[in-house]
Amino acid sequence: MAVFAMILAGGEGPALSVLTAVRSEAAVPFGGKYRIIDFTLSNCVNSEIFDVAVLTQYQPRSLNDHIGVGRPWDLDRTSGGVRLLQPYQRAKGERGAWQEGTADALRFNLESLPAAADDVLILAGDHIYMMDYRPLLRFHHDCGADVTMAVRQVPAFEAHRFGMVVADPGGDVVEYEEKPRRTRSTTASMGIYVFRRAALIKALTAGSGKQQHNLGGEVIPALVRSAKVYAYPFQGYWADVGTIQAYYEANMALLGESPALDLDVHDWDWVIHTRSEERPAVRFGPESRVERAMFCDGGQVDGTVINSVISPGVRVAPGAVVRDSIVMTDAVIEAGAVVDRAIIDKRVVVGADARVGAGDSNTPNLKWPERLNTGITVVGKRAAIPPGTTIGRNVVISPYVAAKDFPGPEVVSGETVGR
Amino acid sequence: MRVVALILAGGAGTRLGVLSDQRAKPAVPFAGRFRVIDFTLSNCVNSGIFDVGILTQYLPRSLNEHIGIGRPWDLDRSRGGVRLLQPYQGRGHKDWYGGTADAVLQNLDYLRDRRADTVVILSGDHIYKMDYRPMLRLHEARRADLTVAVMNVRPEETDRFGIVLTDGDGRVTQFLEKPKDAPSTLANMGVYVFNVNALAERMQALAPKHPDLDFGKHVIPSMVESHAIYTFPFEGYWVDVGTVDAYWQTSMELTSGQSQLNLYDPAWVIHTRSQERPPAKLGPQGSARDSLICNGCTVRGQVSRSVLSPGVYVSPGAVVRDSIIMNDSWVGPGAVVDCCILDKDVVVGPGTTLGWGDDLSTPNQRYPDRFNTGPTIVGKGAHIPANRRIGRNVVIQSEVDEAAFSAFSETIPSGATVE
Repeated sequence: MAVFAMILAGGEGPALSVLTAVRSEAAVPFGGKYRIIDFTLSNCVNSEIFDVAVLTQYQPRSLNDHIGVGRPWDLDRTSGGVRLLQPYQRAKGERGAWQEGTADALRFNLESLPAAADDVLILAGDHIYMMDYRPLLRFHHDCGADVTMAVRQVPAFEAHRFGMVVADPGGDVVEYEEKPRRTRSTTASMGIYVFRRAALIKALTAGSGKQQHNLGGEVIPALVRSAKVYAYPFQGYWADVGTIQAYYEANMALLGESPALDLDVHDWDWVIHTRSEERPAVRFGPESRVERAMFCDGGQVDGTVINSVISPGVRVAPGAVVRDSIVMTDAVIEAGAVVDRAIIDKRVVVGADARVGAGDSNTPNLKWPERLNTGITVVGKRAAIPPGTTIGRNVVISPYVAAKDFPGPEVVSGETVGR
Repeated sequence: MRVVALILAGGAGTRLGVLSDQRAKPAVPFAGRFRVIDFTLSNCVNSGIFDVGILTQYLPRSLNEHIGIGRPWDLDRSRGGVRLLQPYQGRGHKDWYGGTADAVLQNLDYLRDRRADTVVILSGDHIYKMDYRPMLRLHEARRADLTVAVMNVRPEETDRFGIVLTDGDGRVTQFLEKPKDAPSTLANMGVYVFNVNALAERMQALAPKHPDLDFGKHVIPSMVESHAIYTFPFEGYWVDVGTVDAYWQTSMELTSGQSQLNLYDPAWVIHTRSQERPPAKLGPQGSARDSLICNGCTVRGQVSRSVLSPGVYVSPGAVVRDSIIMNDSWVGPGAVVDCCILDKDVVVGPGTTLGWGDDLSTPNQRYPDRFNTGPTIVGKGAHIPANRRIGRNVVIQSEVDEAAFSAFSETIPSGATVE
């Protein structure tokens, strides 16, 4: 049984604010040295699935650079390997060929299904989890299912974010509701599906399926009524980091003494692979103070870092303080600056004595009150925060802004700087 | 000019004691995540030399694994790339490499196959960053038969080097191998650019008389009169970490941030093979000062002035000072490691003090001339039992287990050897 994996990585992830202004959600850095898609991609190769397509659309540049020919995952292969699939024009001068949703993206790329593939594993590029797909595939076969979806238990108050499933004890799905207001089920679809090849082609190209755009919202509910759909329970850690708060919490959870997601390598057959640049060890200076934090190669730490996740190449100057924050690759925190409860994107420079995340006011962001309301300030890629600037909570600093874009030495909570 | 580089990596490095018990000197770990040979190999590719032969003989296994097909250096090429050249048998000859030049002579075929007219001969056991291109340009412009890279050394060190005397144009007039009273401080670094034909002719002429054919002892002195030998002055950082003391000192300089060796220069990356490991994690009771710490480390104790390779675990309450600890070693709770070099996979039992007492100058009884400056060295995979006090200049052999310590009381005196 040959399996072909299709990873849906074209989504924008708008709730991740400026983190997804310059890249797709799947390419957002996570856990210091990883990108979100590394988890799904590594799950594939660790499950011995070496034929993988990554479906892209929104801001694919960063993802393309990251995946390249797939070397870090040993996916640079002669037969199989990884392919990056972009939207394209099917006729000269064609317009409107953009993909309108997950089902549309899959339909658009059905031609890339290898002839030998009996089953298609459909995965999301924006989930953090470690999962061996082989038991799922075995279950799918044993059940003789058309479609098998991985499911997990969620608290009832979160049901409205997921496709909720009711299955009989054998796993046969009898009911499926997409993002219901109220439900009696606490079993949620994880957005991980195995399709029998023919079942996938039929679902996307026959009858009313032709017009459906959304896999979870349209295709699956229709299939539950008409085909053999099974649910496979997964017990391990799984996180959808699609909001700033969820993203922040999932990163911070790594700092625990025995974190739910354990990145330590206990088994060299189950490593999360990523593309990493060659960098020397982190150097801790004579005045450095650190507590409960993660650091990556290439960093230079002379200041204080508490309860934070620090990516490769970050410099924390003497007298600078980073607290409860996520700081991405090659960012510089200059002398005397304080970063508190913030997400600092790549190559940001926080000027000397600047404060990011200051004060007690938790005014939600005025432009995006539903996205930024938990006190986290986000600073976009390559932004330069002028020395001495004070920036409050729930603030958005857009990518690439410089001193001239700042209204003054103080940016109060809830403000946005730049576009 | 068709250039091939040959790296001499066959040396046993006996003065490094247990560190080179199970590997050749070029394969000894350095600065946390590198191997000594990474510097020379990276110099080659950073200088645009992609045809590299590595001559191995002594314990090549570790080196073979490290180099592999040369991927980290982009030397996995269809044409050229890296070749590991081991001694081999053929009809009519079955000799080990007798000396540095003998090793090259036995691989003359390789140079011919690569159609090289110029060969750069390098040593695999030096730490330095050097662009070989200016030296090659000068070699070509002067139509030299041999260009020798030279640097000034301290007068008291001249008896360890080949000393060079030149005329005003930089042409070599005299070459003295390890002289007692040197008339000059210009020393041969062991970096040579040879015209292949001149080299081949010389080696073939000298080989019958000298089965241990050596560049410094035989080949170069025989060319001074008859050939055009020029010097190329090198002014950067260069060290030979061939002794335990030099190795320890060089590593300590790196931790102080005062070293002239800048590992963090993006324009001259030192490439190495690295395993994919998660970020380094510093726990709530952990601290790190003046130290280099690599990915995959967990620090829950106190680390100062030390170099930790990937995967080192420092337990709560443990103290690591002035030490070098290699991959995946484990320092138990409450243990103290002071002025030590620990090879890979070492276990330091709880409560043990490794490097105890003020008598740093008590030499090792077995090798008083090699180990007499303080560092206690522990071989790969040694298991040190709990609650011992282990003195200075102690040598603990590779793979010893707790039973080996039964010959001692709780205190293992300075200068002892545990085997």
